[in-house]
Amino acid sequence: MSLSTTLYAPLAVVALSAVAIYRAQTPQTTRQMPPVQQTPSQPGNQPTYFVEHPDHIQPGLAFQGRWAALTNPYEGNAQRIAEGAQLFVSYNCLDCHGADGSGAMGPSLQDNRWHFGGTPGDVFQSIYEGRPDGMPAWGGRIADDQIWRLVAYVRTLSNGHAVATENFTGKTIARTGH
Amino acid sequence: MTPGALLRLTVLGIGVLACQPSGAPPTSDSSLVAGAKIGTPPPAVADGEWSLPARDYANSRFSNLAEITPANVKNLHVAWTFSTGVLRGHEGQPLVVGNTMYLVTPYPNVAYALDLTQPGFPLKWKYRPENAQAAVGEACCDVVNRGASYADGKIVYNLLDGHTVAVDAATGTELWRVKMGDLNRGETITMAPLIVKTRVIVGSSGGEMGVRGWIAALDLGTGKELWRAYNVGPDSDIKAGPRFKPFYPQDKVANSGTASWPGDSWKVGGATVWGWISYDPELNLIYHGTSNPGPWNGVQRPGDNKWSAAIIARDPDTGEMIWAFQPTPHDIWDYDAVNENILVDLPMGGAMRKVLVHFDRNGFAYTIDRATGQVLLAKPFVPMNWASGVDLNTGRPNVNVDKATAQGKNVKNICPSLEGGKNQQPAAFSPKTGLFYVPTNNLCMDFEGREVTYIAGTPYIGGNAPETGGPGGYKGEFIAWDAVHGRKIWGIKEPFPVWSGVLATAGNVVFYGTLDGWLKAVDARSGAVLWQFKVGSGIVGAPMTYTGPDGKQYIAVYSGIGGDMGLLIAGDVAANLPFDVRERGTTLPDLARYTSWGGMLFVFAL
Repeated sequence: MSLSTTLYAPLAVVALSAVAIYRAQTPQTTRQMPPVQQTPSQPGNQPTYFVEHPDHIQPGLAFQGRWAALTNPYEGNAQRIAEGAQLFVSYNCLDCHGADGSGAMGPSLQDNRWHFGGTPGDVFQSIYEGRPDGMPAWGGRIADDQIWRLVAYVRTLSNGHAVATENFTGKTIARTGH
Repeated sequence: MTPGALLRLTVLGIGVLACQPSGAPPTSDSSLVAGAKIGTPPPAVADGEWSLPARDYANSRFSNLAEITPANVKNLHVAWTFSTGVLRGHEGQPLVVGNTMYLVTPYPNVAYALDLTQPGFPLKWKYRPENAQAAVGEACCDVVNRGASYADGKIVYNLLDGHTVAVDAATGTELWRVKMGDLNRGETITMAPLIVKTRVIVGSSGGEMGVRGWIAALDLGTGKELWRAYNVGPDSDIKAGPRFKPFYPQDKVANSGTASWPGDSWKVGGATVWGWISYDPELNLIYHGTSNPGPWNGVQRPGDNKWSAAIIARDPDTGEMIWAFQPTPHDIWDYDAVNENILVDLPMGGAMRKVLVHFDRNGFAYTIDRATGQVLLAKPFVPMNWASGVDLNTGRPNVNVDKATAQGKNVKNICPSLEGGKNQQPAAFSPKTGLFYVPTNNLCMDFEGREVTYIAGTPYIGGNAPETGGPGGYKGEFIAWDAVHGRKIWGIKEPFPVWSGVLATAGNVVFYGTLDGWLKAVDARSGAVLWQFKVGSGIVGAPMTYTGPDGKQYIAVYSGIGGDMGLLIAGDVAANLPFDVRERGTTLPDLARYTSWGGMLFVFAL
């Protein structure tokens, strides 16, 4: 996917950094895996087929890896969240994820359920790298500070939405079909 | 005409309450259409087989099987079932060739061949194609597939990620696999290909993604692309040459596919071919519809936007455009014209005419001369208010300006909604009654256009359009339609849009399914519901019928809610996705009480 395709309407969003082909400079710390703790093998002391499983290994750890610890400079910043809401429309996130992230072609962002992790760093990674079910990789195509605005906005969408139980008496929301 | 007036005018027959089998007396024969017949020769298979998506090239979905009748259908019961292993919208229909049944699932588009001669119907083979996972997020309206076509020992169908595949029907071996669409631009494929002579006719989806719609022919033996015609763009691309003769004078314009668009906007103009294909062997013409123009927001594309929201006749050998007609010029309501074109011969004004009958999203049922594209009749088949009628001198609708959508303006209560008076769910025609059996929606919408930027591979929509039930307190109706006079003969009102296809049989029983999971058998003449059965998940596929090795007539239908109505509108997603839990959609707030996602084949017999 390329944004070099002719644009038919101005990306008049907020006066942020340029949309087109901004090569992201992600902080170096985000590009490094934590060093793997390896016990030096000691030939002769233990059988080579024995592998000790450290008790901190968790299933699904891969989704809470190198990006998870990143902090969002805009988390909770009302102005940046509002700008993120505009970007959510301008970059057509809305028509995939639904109005206010209520779910459409793509999954809901209102349910506080995260397929690939819900920390600010996880959400940044999902937007930056894309995800297998068709989430585009926006990294390097839009500015990192715009992605952080989107992250700040998206993480507000679950507020007040209790979705675990449906008893068919609660509120409904307007949805647009295609 | 107000919707209320429309209802009064068109409810001529005997109303039958949904969910209540009743012994309504037969409608008088005056409501039947004498002399009406299917417009193409019968398919080259036995009466008990079903080798093409709609059984025949006419798209009649009519079967000569007649063991099941209004008198005995009450004894219908489940004979066997099969789980497809996929929880998504199961549109389309199985095929039966010889003693083998062929199924195609929603993404990842697994194909199964079931041996009907053995107890328990074991698989002969199972084919799991490579199919890019990213396609799931590029498909606008669930990851549906509308089925396969069979010819010359091959099962041919499309993959969501934009490929067409041919599989050896005997062994399941992949014979060829051809990339037809560019997933990175939002091109997916959901339609059922039609095999015409030695050619496989294929079209794309992606009208909500700003793609440029096309239709193409592949060689059945090799998969080699023989021609590809776009539906927007210069005459050379849309294959409008010396043989292109649209019926209406205003359409006879050079490069109509660019002249009716501002600037280069046609390059992202939609007009995809995601519906059903028909074929008239005698005229040597295929018929297909095209989708909405992109984006929905019409302010960004003033003009007729040809040939989006159009019905097009092409030469299947060359792809040449022979005629084209736009039911909704400059569509600003998402009224795709992709719905099936049913080829029939009807007595029009005393003379038999070769026509196609098309129930458009825009709410008008068109009876069109299929040789020339002349609209002979266009009447509302559902409540509507966006237009007061169709001018037969131009073929154009008389648009109610109060219902014209615009950017930044919230236009209230437009009927029908963007789901249309009818959507992809295919109607059927019975030559026994001369009537069309049509699954319809009764929904209205508010529509607010919004400026949208084209970003390849993302939605190019620019509009918000929440929907509500239409007038009358019901949201769908299964109707019998007389296409000679443009009138409804009877109707069965449903609490939900009727989103299944239809089967008509020579036994004078017609079958349809409901979103809340009822398969219903109806008297083709009276509209009386004679039998119904609640399957596990809502029905968005099309029932079909075949003769088993035991000589009995069977009825088969997919159970598996989904598609646009199940996924986007209801908002009740598959329960096996723990990370995606949605709040109910206001349009169908109760649907999730009555059904949940599934993926089963149900087969019935006496």
